[in-house]
Amino acid sequence: MSCKLVRRHLGAFVDGELDPATQIEFERHLEACPGCQEHLAFESSLRQQTRESIGGIHAPEHLWGRAVRRLAELDEARAEHTSLIEVRPMRWRQTWPIAAAAAAILIIGGVVGLPESAEYQSAGMLRDVVNLHSQALPSDVQAEAPQEVVRYFQGKTPFPVQPATFEEPGMKFMGARYIRVGAQPAAALYYIRDGRRVTLLVFQSSEIVRNAQRTHVGGRELYYHNVGGNVVTIRQHGGVNYAFFGDIDRRVLFQLAANARVAY
Amino acid sequence: MPRKSKKLAAERQLFEVEARPHLDALYSMALRLTRSPVDAEDLVQDTLVRAYRFYDRFEAGTNFKAWLLRIQMNTFVNRYRRASRERQVFDGPMAVPVGEGVMSRASMRGLTDPVADAQRRLIGREIQRAFDELSDEARAMVLLADVEELSYKEIADVVGCPIGTVMSRLHRARKQLQISLQKHAVQLGIIEDDDTDIEDPIPLEAFRSRKLVKS
Repeated sequence: MSCKLVRRHLGAFVDGELDPATQIEFERHLEACPGCQEHLAFESSLRQQTRESIGGIHAPEHLWGRAVRRLAELDEARAEHTSLIEVRPMRWRQTWPIAAAAAAILIIGGVVGLPESAEYQSAGMLRDVVNLHSQALPSDVQAEAPQEVVRYFQGKTPFPVQPATFEEPGMKFMGARYIRVGAQPAAALYYIRDGRRVTLLVFQSSEIVRNAQRTHVGGRELYYHNVGGNVVTIRQHGGVNYAFFGDIDRRVLFQLAANARVAY
Repeated sequence: MPRKSKKLAAERQLFEVEARPHLDALYSMALRLTRSPVDAEDLVQDTLVRAYRFYDRFEAGTNFKAWLLRIQMNTFVNRYRRASRERQVFDGPMAVPVGEGVMSRASMRGLTDPVADAQRRLIGREIQRAFDELSDEARAMVLLADVEELSYKEIADVVGCPIGTVMSRLHRARKQLQISLQKHAVQLGIIEDDDTDIEDPIPLEAFRSRKLVKS
């Protein structure tokens, strides 16, 4: 066994992660080799010092109370809305290649049921879209600073994101944050209209329009999926999906999606 | 209290009892990842909310702390980390090869077991600084392995990659830490600048092809 090999795997040796036979070979080599002993002493000492200098942090005292209060609030909300849709666990898939098309979805308020049918290949993504709307996660970009949107998403999403603007004066920008739809990086833009939330998700995927119905509104081609009593409406622009959702009348949603200025 | 909220309260209590002992670990990880106390608190709260939501999916008998850290890591990646560029620099073709001998013997001696308290503190500070300069990925590796002392298998679960990848990332992260530590230590005069007996770095690919431990 060479010194080079031993030193290369010294970290795993100190971690106790070598298989037992190799571990014994390492020990034998180390007994006889002062040079490697020195490396071992250094490796162990540095490990110890690292643990001491970057470990041992205590959480601030109020943090636990704050988190527990939040859990209680969530339970209260859960007790009131028994039909709250199931939230899916996070995924670990990392799929970096960009799908051919990107779509946008506009989502508007309310808790809804989803089609269970296996025909819906895009059901997972649709469920994400609806969940992301109903969860109403905190925004990273605040309502007062729509100009921050572009910069915030730079480097986060593989496409530029601008806050969509609407001719309808009733549509108010409420905030934005980075999120994932399926495994795709996405921008969530939150709006409010007549006291009802509308969510616009911007992401890339060709899946989402599969099996979708198609319509034309104001010269724009729109895709939509019926989800419970509502529709997820998707407009494609420049290879990106803009998906709109909310519990508003579908004609109104179609109008919003068709008239939105999504890229400029 | 209606029956439903009673049931929820009982479940919540169970979750709280189980999660409370890991708050420091979560916070310390969050602080090291975000580098900001405010973001760290938000990240921990997000993590606990998500963990509570998926509590029924936790497999009894597995490591609860590792499970919480995995949720936190994922939340961090989704919310705070900038896309995939950094990962490429760390793992991809742009990665700088690191060998096994990044430091001279004299340097190692200078940094091993400092006797004087003052020097110990100084080195401690330099380790922190070197650590803060690492990429997100590398910081996570060092934290999970050296501070939280998770096994490679647990780290693989937390980070969501194969054990072989844990080994190479961890190796790389530790070497980067050492290189950066040495640079600072030389500047501060803790050790002499001495690069005479540094061995040739061997590329990581060579290491992979003759990896000792099967994952």
